Amino acid sequence: MIKFLLKGLFRDKSRSLLPLIVVAIGVMLAVFMRGYINGIMVDMIEQTARFNTGHVKVMTKAYSDNMSQAPNDLALTNVSELKKNLRNDFPDIEWVSRIKFGGLIDVPDENGETKSQGPAMGIGLDLFSPGSDEARRLNLERSLVRGSMPDSEGEVLLSEDFSRKLDTGPAKDVTLIGSTMNGGMAIFNFRVAGTVRFGNTGMDRGTVIADLQDVQHALNMDDAAGEILGLFDSGYYEDETAAPVVRKFEDKYTDENDEYAPVMLRLRDQEGLSIYVDMSKSMGFIITFIFIVAMSLVLWNAGLLGGLRRYGEIGIRLAIGEEKGHIYKTMIYESVMIGFAGTIIGTAFGLGLSWLMQTYGLDISEFTKNATTGVMMPDVVRARITPPDFYIGFIPGVLSTVTGTMLAGIGIYKRKTAQLFKELET
Amino acid sequence: MKKVIVILLSVFSVAAYAQPTADEIINRVDKNMSAENQVVESQMTIHGRRASRTITSVSYTVGDKKSFTEYLSPPREEGTKMLKLEDQLWIYSPTTDRIIQISGHMLRQSVMGSDLSYEDMMDDRKLTDVYSAELTGNEEIDGRQTWVLELEATVPDIAYASRKIWIDRERYVPLKEELFAKSGQLLKRSIMSDITRVDGRWYPMVIVYKDMMKQGEGTEFKITDIKFNQDIPEYIFSKAALKQ
Amino acid sequence: MKLAIKLAFKNLIGAGLRTWLNVIVLSFSFVIIIAVKGILVGWDRQAKNDMTEWEIGGGQYWHEDYDPYDAFTLEESHAPVPGEFTPEIEQGDMVPVLMTRGTIYPQGRMQSILIKGIDPEQTLLKLPTNKLDTAVAAIPAVIGSNMAKTKKLEIGDYITMRWRDANGTFDAADIFITGIFTTNVPTVDVSQVWIPLDSLQSMLLMPGEATTLTFRNREKARQDTGEWKLMTFDELVSDIEEMIKTKSVGQSIFYIILLILALLAIFDTQVLSIFRRQKEIGTYIALGYTRRGVVGLFTVEGAMHAILAALVGAVYGIPFLIWFANKGISLGVSSADYGFAMAETMYPAYSLGLIAGTTILVLVATTIVSYWPSRKIAKMNPTEALRGKLQ
Repeated sequence: MIKFLLKGLFRDKSRSLLPLIVVAIGVMLAVFMRGYINGIMVDMIEQTARFNTGHVKVMTKAYSDNMSQAPNDLALTNVSELKKNLRNDFPDIEWVSRIKFGGLIDVPDENGETKSQGPAMGIGLDLFSPGSDEARRLNLERSLVRGSMPDSEGEVLLSEDFSRKLDTGPAKDVTLIGSTMNGGMAIFNFRVAGTVRFGNTGMDRGTVIADLQDVQHALNMDDAAGEILGLFDSGYYEDETAAPVVRKFEDKYTDENDEYAPVMLRLRDQEGLSIYVDMSKSMGFIITFIFIVAMSLVLWNAGLLGGLRRYGEIGIRLAIGEEKGHIYKTMIYESVMIGFAGTIIGTAFGLGLSWLMQTYGLDISEFTKNATTGVMMPDVVRARITPPDFYIGFIPGVLSTVTGTMLAGIGIYKRKTAQLFKELET
Repeated sequence: MKKVIVILLSVFSVAAYAQPTADEIINRVDKNMSAENQVVESQMTIHGRRASRTITSVSYTVGDKKSFTEYLSPPREEGTKMLKLEDQLWIYSPTTDRIIQISGHMLRQSVMGSDLSYEDMMDDRKLTDVYSAELTGNEEIDGRQTWVLELEATVPDIAYASRKIWIDRERYVPLKEELFAKSGQLLKRSIMSDITRVDGRWYPMVIVYKDMMKQGEGTEFKITDIKFNQDIPEYIFSKAALKQ
Repeated sequence: MKLAIKLAFKNLIGAGLRTWLNVIVLSFSFVIIIAVKGILVGWDRQAKNDMTEWEIGGGQYWHEDYDPYDAFTLEESHAPVPGEFTPEIEQGDMVPVLMTRGTIYPQGRMQSILIKGIDPEQTLLKLPTNKLDTAVAAIPAVIGSNMAKTKKLEIGDYITMRWRDANGTFDAADIFITGIFTTNVPTVDVSQVWIPLDSLQSMLLMPGEATTLTFRNREKARQDTGEWKLMTFDELVSDIEEMIKTKSVGQSIFYIILLILALLAIFDTQVLSIFRRQKEIGTYIALGYTRRGVVGLFTVEGAMHAILAALVGAVYGIPFLIWFANKGISLGVSSADYGFAMAETMYPAYSLGLIAGTTILVLVATTIVSYWPSRKIAKMNPTEALRGKLQ
């Protein structure tokens, strides 16, 4: 019988095509929507993770107590060994070293004497290692205003407003005056490769981004780093992923008596992000729920419409003696098939769209007229695919389509044979 | 009546101890400590929270207005030079080949991470010109008798509103100095020790500076070699010499 | 036309469940667009409100050298308050604030802070400056909760603060924490202490001087005066506006999709009703309706979904939105992380423009998708249609 029904569906486009398209589009929207909402909800968290907190962050205990001052005299040492161990112990986490530092940026005139000077806050991150994702992670390339990305030793990015204030720019030399890890004076020359926008006035007014090795060199921090950020391979923060990591880490690395022993903080534990993490979950759930309900209503309606569309056909089938129950049953079977087919197609398209948006993101800079593009304000909206996206579509896609058909089908039982021929005449 | 007592007392004290006035003491100290010029090799040990490090340098000083310092070690600081002329200060760093003028707020930074700020080094006015001194007592420090002088600022543009100096009564060398805020809060303390006779002068070979507000053990400044009245070529006190 | 509307309404209600399903979905779009946009409007309003109440009032005058992002400028950026402002200050409509850099040493680590002097009796800003009006041995000070947390300070704590006066002479004294306030405006909280203006002026040897002047009245026409640069309210809140703008673009995709979904259902309904009601269409034309008239009738019928949706949406939406506006949505992100005013709980706000705009948007969109399939009617052969022949 299934074969027969399929044949019918294939041959009668009005029976199959339109409902299928409606189901598929609906499911696609639902799946994509979920991915999109999830993407938006976690975006703020991930932005903080990428820029500042990591999904987990390793630093010395003493450093973590004074985290807001970026106290590099309390930085981690023997970082390469520590990172090697971390990589072995937690292969699913990418570990990246960062150094935050403060200092003065001094711009020389043609005689090499100070022309202008300004206080700066700096971030050292791995820009040059092959395979390093740091530049992309901070959205640096897209935030470039002038010049280009640093591609060789000693090249840095300055925030655009800062470089204007200091009257410097790409291909010009600047000197960092800061303090070394052990408190000495650090003087180091950099060449400005480009300027970036952060989208946060404070940072725009005085930020320098340099390669980690250069910073280590400049601040006498060989094999040292203020912070090691751990970023989950999944790309997203989850308490469930973080908890065992922290437990395992504490067992192995933490030493209560040594203030320079490494400690690990989850994203949730930093900067009051915990409530936001919780909220993003429940908000995501609420929005998905509303959307699925709406979707179900639409597909229910589509089921009803499908039944009505075939009013005439069913009349004929009744007239030639087909059992009402049988017609009802075949209609439901058909709707199950349509529902499944539509859901599968829709889910595939929805996931595809979400995947595109997860991988490439949607560039909204056109809408914001580029005014707000910046490191701290990514102008690319990304979706996020989670496991439920693979099956969530079946709720509206199959359940609602079938429900709609079932409700519409009840009409069959109300029809009177005597009137059938009259209807057929027209 | 009061006046009489003061006069009596002072006459009495001069007679008994040959006690000089505060200004006289300071002048004696000045005479003992300063020379036409001096060349000092030193090591400065900075005690950090985590580790200590030692920086060696050689300084050439002429009078109070001109001074030139070259850092010798560790390798990181080697070749870094500092030139002070009147009230200006430049630093040359060989790795960057830049001469940077330390001015404004940068003067308030610490020198090489020590408990001394550039500004502490810069103020070269004679103590008697900017403070009014008063002899307030006698104390014993490490078995040496000292005069205790209290100095109050007489000019407005000065970093420390008051100071307290303990001076060895026999050798005219300060053994201890404390710097105070306007409110009287103790800000910095330096303790001199290892008083040695060099070319007929008594000189403290070790000075420990401590910023009293910060935790830590402070900065130890140790003279490894000191020579007075040398032939110092004039050209080293120029910006051009920094780059050489 | 009146007849057309009446007819359209009857047809629509006659379709029963199908209509109501469409209407409910469309009403979802309505309510959610308003709710979600309301969050942004509320956020914008609240952030500006907080800034007004805590920091900027109706605008500020800055000393021309003052740069809030460069603490080193503070040594230069102070001047006597111009006499022309005396009446405003006396009426409590202007608050001078003097700032300088200082140092504190919690746990023996040297940390730079900002010392701000403000009149304890001021009422223009929400800062609990009345707590500064206490006679204690040390200098009374109020600090924000972020400052208290990061520097591990509590009410009743003494801490030594060091600063330099106008001549550069070091001075140090204990401050006594008399109050800790919680604010969403990090620029009055992070790394700073508030002490009485008189005390700071005499500590710095800067009698009668200030760094900024915050005024209450936003409307009054003002201009730069002497060393004082006017910073209008709009200039001071421009950061927030940019942030909101970016957020609103990302958000709009969300309701566009929701709207598409609802419109998809209406489109499907329209296609079917035109297909099923060919006889009816034929009849209308036979009775003398123009084709355009019939297209209009069907379009009105479809568009009426939007009107019904607005009504249905109002029934459950108004209570929901009111509840939502009162309860707010907790963000839990501390404003200090973002560097500008951001409340931990955002209360949505709905403007008339927002509601009207949304209604028009939904109505127009619905009309378009209703009209789209109806165009087919114009191409129908009326006699065939009358006979119910499929076309």
